[in-house]
Amino acid sequence: MEEVYVEEFMSPGCVGCPAVKQMLEVLATELGDKLIVEEVDITVDTTRAAQYGIMSVPALAINGILRFMGVPRKEELEKAIMEELEGEG
Amino acid sequence: MNPKNKAKIGVFICHCGKNIAGGLDIEALAESTKHIEGVAYVGDNKFSCSEDGQVSIQEAIRDNNLDRVIVAACDPSLHLMTFQRCGEKSGMETQFVDLIDIRKWTMHGSPHKDNPEEALAKSRKLIELAVKRMSLKKLIPMVEFPAEKSILVIGGGVAGLEAGLDLAEKGYDVHIVEKLPTIGGKMALLYKVFPTNDCAPCILAPKTAYANIHPRINLMTNSEVKSVEGYIGNFDIEVVQTPRYIDTEKCTGCGECVNACPCRVVDDIYAAGMGERKAIYFPFDQAIPKKPVIDAQNCLYFRKKVCRLCEKNCPADAIDFKQMSKKIDIKAGAIVVASGFDEYDPSPKSEYGYGRYSNVITQFQLARLLDIDGPTRGKLLRPSDGREPHSIAMIQCVGSRDKKTNDYCSNICCMYALKHAQMIREMILPDAEIYILYIDMRTTGKGFEEYYRKTREMGIHFIRGRPSEIMEKPDTRNLLMEVEDPDIGRLLEIDADLVVLSCATVPSEGSEQLSQFLKIERDEAGFFKELHPKLRPVETNVRGIYICGAAQGPKDIPDSIIQAKAAASFADGELRNHKIKLPAFMVQTRGINQGGS
Repeated sequence: MEEVYVEEFMSPGCVGCPAVKQMLEVLATELGDKLIVEEVDITVDTTRAAQYGIMSVPALAINGILRFMGVPRKEELEKAIMEELEGEG
Repeated sequence: MNPKNKAKIGVFICHCGKNIAGGLDIEALAESTKHIEGVAYVGDNKFSCSEDGQVSIQEAIRDNNLDRVIVAACDPSLHLMTFQRCGEKSGMETQFVDLIDIRKWTMHGSPHKDNPEEALAKSRKLIELAVKRMSLKKLIPMVEFPAEKSILVIGGGVAGLEAGLDLAEKGYDVHIVEKLPTIGGKMALLYKVFPTNDCAPCILAPKTAYANIHPRINLMTNSEVKSVEGYIGNFDIEVVQTPRYIDTEKCTGCGECVNACPCRVVDDIYAAGMGERKAIYFPFDQAIPKKPVIDAQNCLYFRKKVCRLCEKNCPADAIDFKQMSKKIDIKAGAIVVASGFDEYDPSPKSEYGYGRYSNVITQFQLARLLDIDGPTRGKLLRPSDGREPHSIAMIQCVGSRDKKTNDYCSNICCMYALKHAQMIREMILPDAEIYILYIDMRTTGKGFEEYYRKTREMGIHFIRGRPSEIMEKPDTRNLLMEVEDPDIGRLLEIDADLVVLSCATVPSEGSEQLSQFLKIERDEAGFFKELHPKLRPVETNVRGIYICGAAQGPKDIPDSIIQAKAAASFADGELRNHKIKLPAFMVQTRGINQGGS
């Protein structure tokens, strides 16, 4: 795939969310337009989180599949995103 | 969709009458949407959710071979299901139908309403993101699995009992977990209930008694939920039961142990601090289970290793000082949260002197004093000298409708003040002067206005105003206050023997921790938050967890019953086929990384 769409589920009071956000920002500078990140505040958009069955934040869905709950290790996140980019999609 | 091909996305923009069309240029939005990569069709409807609107979406799916649909309209919690069903009728996978909310920027009255240019720009951006997301979205594999045929109910008050009994009658095994040593909740301690002035324990007892003997109900008193894992159909719950120090199998409830106990302590729970109990005690006469409980913090044996008089006097040999906390694991398909409310502690409102002046009490304390089974056996005696009060002032909205404490109206305080005024006038002290000092009297339930009128006709004084401060007379311990009555345009001075504060209803202690265990949201006031304030009043953000009663917000008994029945109905609706369909990753956690180290 040429692009990867990451839904970053967060909430204003979440302790781990800023760390995930920062990881994604670093990856975005490396990957440029290939990485699209949407921040989804679960206190505002509860429906989207419910669709994925998300019960805690931070959580990350990559191209529509929930891949991480909790704060991932940077290498794991990078690997998951690169797999999407390199795969057929 | 062939993976080599791009997705064919249809975008449908809803006018929502004038709600969206009146706040942005639909034509311009449709035009720009056509140029987004991946968009194969753009349509607009006056009302996309109408029958005509849905038919036009279905026709567009068929005519253009669309394999993704985005409806730009309103809040997904309202209509996502509508459009998913609509797409499903045209053979589309429901996961490939999405609804995005552009109405929040256009609708009059919306807190996010923006000017037309901003609304258009934001809507364009949101549609662009949704198109990108949908074009890259992969299908989430679903899996069907068997659901547990049991339910956990948290809270043994009237709402929890109603939900539990309904579900047990529908064939579920129900576990009711109650923190206190008896079921019945606050209602069991009210003596009378408005607007019928029925005896509260009398109308509650059929429910408590049936719950106690129901073959499909497992009552766990003195118990608290300590952890919750899993998902709808398969929740794993850990409950910890604190010891009663009584072998309930052997105990006959004769009360010899209570008679023998030499230790007296203030009863903060069942007498609301207005009376005493022993260190081994029955919560109240109609308590269920009717077994005593030892308060280890005050028992002489636990404190000083002396006494054991209860043990010596028990004819059934049922006292067991060696009992330990017990961990109980429960499996449940769904959870109903009915953890109730607490009365606001008015101590921070120092102008009223609660905690400083002994003759200032709360309405819940008054309820206990008026109860024939209460600490004074139904006599209204003021705390400072045990004398009957001749003048009683009730102050409304203490801790409610107050920006410094709780902004919300507590819903029930006007009615319970009226109830107590009626009870005092009719049954206890007919000659006492009773003043109700209020901001507004809010009596909106069925039969409530008539109840208010009746109270006025009984000669209760209603004064539209509240004192800024209460002073205590050092010699008599009476309470002095000045109130401006705008109805007669005069400043009134009231010399009251007893002041009763109508305190706010606040979330029960432990709600915050419970919300963390259950991962359900709370509202700004701390009550558990429903999924939609109008249309989904018992569901939460976690599928399979439902809320009812005062745990969701201040409400009276009939409303609690209605909501409990709704919660039971929802739980049954989800579990009745004994099967649940969920995304595969929720069931087999493989593939989900639970976070770094």
